[in-house]
Formats: sequence, structure tokens, C-alpha cells
Amino acid sequence: MAEVISASHISKSYGDCKAVDDLSLSVQSGEFFGFLGPNGAGKTTTIRMLTGIMRPDAGTIHIDGHEVRNRQQLSRAIGVLSESRGFYGWMTGEEYLRFFAGLYGIADAERTVSSLLEEVGLGEHKRKTIGAYSRGMEQRLGLARALVNRPQILFLDEPTLGLDPQGQEDVQQLLRRLNQGGATVFYSSHLLHEVSRLCSMVAIINQGRLVATGTLDALERQTGSKDLQSVFFALTNP
Amino acid sequence: MLRLLWSKELKAGLYTWKSLAWLLVTSLIFSVTSYLMLTNRELSLLDQTEMLWLLSKVILSAALLVVVIDSSSLITSEFEQETIECLFLAPLTLKDFVLGKLAVSFTLWALVYLVAAPYVIVTSAGSQLTCAMLGYTALYGSLTVLGFTLLVFAVSFFYRSLRNTLTTSLTVLLASSISALFSSGLKRSAFARALGSINPLDNVFASLDNVLVDYQVSLGRNLSFLLPLVGFCAVMFGFLLLALRAFSRKGITKD
Repeated sequence: MAEVISASHISKSYGDCKAVDDLSLSVQSGEFFGFLGPNGAGKTTTIRMLTGIMRPDAGTIHIDGHEVRNRQQLSRAIGVLSESRGFYGWMTGEEYLRFFAGLYGIADAERTVSSLLEEVGLGEHKRKTIGAYSRGMEQRLGLARALVNRPQILFLDEPTLGLDPQGQEDVQQLLRRLNQGGATVFYSSHLLHEVSRLCSMVAIINQGRLVATGTLDALERQTGSKDLQSVFFALTNP
Repeated sequence: MLRLLWSKELKAGLYTWKSLAWLLVTSLIFSVTSYLMLTNRELSLLDQTEMLWLLSKVILSAALLVVVIDSSSLITSEFEQETIECLFLAPLTLKDFVLGKLAVSFTLWALVYLVAAPYVIVTSAGSQLTCAMLGYTALYGSLTVLGFTLLVFAVSFFYRSLRNTLTTSLTVLLASSISALFSSGLKRSAFARALGSINPLDNVFASLDNVLVDYQVSLGRNLSFLLPLVGFCAVMFGFLLLALRAFSRKGITKD
């Protein structure tokens, strides 16, 4: 398997506070990679650096073999559901996706938008303005936006946040389908049961440093724990 | 992409009635000014050329005020609504982003100009200055709108907040028009002259006086007024480049 996400010794500070400290990680093509950590551990900052939204103070990042410098080239290869989920409240869901499909220069935008809205379960609400959407519907729309260019590498920051149990299940199934179709998924979440169900590899970050990475079995063996929750507590509260 | 961003902003403006409200306000200002010129005892005694000069100043001032206020929210709203991150996760260049927003500011200026045109035509009837007034208003309006919009955009990238951007931009705009408050004695002072030679609005109004009151219609006779304005636009362009460089260095999200 080829390495599609590679971060080497990346660091980022906000003033005196070191948000990410000398972090290195590697994700192989087709992996469902879980990225865990307590609040303020540096997950979102790491994702922002990996997706080119923020520049690291030190270190290098390669996505799909290219160094993260050319943001345009990078943005065509990846799909991102970020932590900040600003929407244009006056647009309908359909208009919003059509706008982003236009930015990506998608040829058959109408069909792409319609099928994406159906995939994320917003087909019935596509003509409602986003201002009238619930938190869960916004989350689905954000996911659809991340998929609008049919990327092979997905960065998802808390994708099931605000969704009801059925919504969580739908999104998990969609992500599993995408992963089975060959997409690499970089998945950040606080929901450990979700991560253990979906992810083939897990990395845990604490206070800006990567404290462990490996398969769930390997991490359980390493910490002498019997599930991901125990692994998480053992590694983040040593 | 430029067209996409432009149409998005126009739809947002129409949806919130913001743009239409501005056009209504400018239309009212022009109507009241024209009405006063015809009915107010002192104003109606003005020469037609003086009246035209006054109207052109009103048109440009109203347009600048509207464009500066409206443009202040064009970029800052993307920061404040946190939509900027999604935009730049798409393959959108900073150049396309700025040009798209600039096109919106110019659309608003063009609409204000269209609203103003009938007032110019009616007020200048019989003076043989209609074309000159329309032409110079378009030229100076476009250049001042360009300069001030570049300033607003630069400040938007530095502050990333509507309140600070609006306050700073309006302060600069008001400071540029401060010489209008000078007494005639003060206007002759070395300070006022020095200020007048570099102040874009002073040069615009002086040039319009030259064209409309003194009949110096040719562009060559107005180059000395035009050059400081072009210089102002160049300085603001440099300021915007600095702001964009700082923005690229800092990253799309604030540290």
C-alpha cells in the first residue's frame, strides 16, 4: 500500500502554547485511520495543517506524494469536513452544493449534487434554506460538500457530531462504502465505539504529541487493555 | 470562479435586500439634492455649472459611502460566518477571491451610477456638459471606488472583523473629506495645499470644478488631478498585497 498522508516532525504554537509538538504520522492508501485525543490535544490543529489551512511552524507534510504547498492541487485530491462549519444560511442545500461543485469545476454538477444530497439523506430538504436546517442536517450537508469532488482522501473532524443514532448509522455506512471503494479516511472523533467499529488504524494524540499509533489489537496489547476506551485512558491519563 | 463568487454575493445582497436598500437610499439623496437645487432660494440661484459641480460631488460622496460600507462586509462576513475555511478548502485562489469581491463592489458602484445618470442628464440639460459630467463622474467614481475598495479589502484581511474594518475604512474616508470643512483662509495655507495635492478626494473635486465650472473638459487639462488619484490606487494596491501576504503567512484560520 502506498503512503498517502505523511507528516514529518510537524509543530505548531499559538503564542506560548504548543498545540502540536514534533508530530509524525503516516497513513496508507485505503486505510480508515482514527485520530483520537482529549479536548485541546491538538487534533483540529493537526487536521488544519494536513489540509493546508494552516502552515506548520516546523516539519513537512506530504499528501498523495505532493508536499502541502500548492493548495489548489491539494484541494482537488482531498475532501474535508472541518471543525468550523460555516454555511451561507440564505442558500438552499442544493444551491450550496452547486456553488461548491462550480468551484471545483465539476462537469455534471446537477447530477452530482442530486446524488450527493440523496446519499447523505437530504434529498427531501434540498430546496429548504440552510438557515432552517437542524444541526444534524447541516452536518450532513457539510459531509456532502466534502464529497462533492469525489475525493480519494477524506479528512473528517467529528463527522457524526449532532446526528441522531439513525443519522450516525447512515453516515458510518456511507463512510464504510467510500472506504471499501478505495477512499482513505482520516477520521477524528470523540466517539470511541465509532472509531473501534470503523477504523483499521488508530493514532492517539495528547498535549500536542502523538502518544501511540497502530491497529486496535496492537494498542490493546501495548497497554494491556481490553478495549479502545481503556487504551485511550491508559495513554491520555498515564 | 470569479463569476461564481460574484453571483453568490449578488444573490446574498438581493436576498437580504441590502443592495436594493442602498440603491433606494442613494436615489433618495439624489432626489432631495435635485429638489433643493430647484426650490431652495440660495441653491436655485446658483449657476447651472456650480449646480452640476455640487451634484457631482454629492453623487461621488454617496457612492463612496455606500461602496465602503457595503464592501466592508464582503470579506469580513466570510471570516465572521466561518465560511472562509470551506471556500479555501476548494480550489479557489486568493486572486480569484479578491477579484470576485472587487467585481461586487464595482457592480454596486455601477448601479449607483445608473441611478445617478438621469439626475445628471436632467440637471445638465442645455449646458453642453452632460457627456463631460457623465464621463468624468464615471472615471473618477471608478478610480476612487477602486482605491477605497482596495483599502477596505486590505483592512478586512488584517482585522478579519466587520466592526474594526468598517470603523477604520470610514475614518479614512472621512479624513479624506476633512478639507471640505476648512475655511477659505485655511484652504490657502501651506498645510491645506500640501494635503490637497495628495488627497484623492480633493483632487477629484478640484478636477470636477475644472471641468464643470471652468470648462476645461479635455483629459490633458486634468492630468495633474488624475495622477494623485492613480497614485492613491497604486498605494492601496500595495497595501492590499501586504495584507494578502500577511494572510497567507498566518493561515486561513486565526492563530
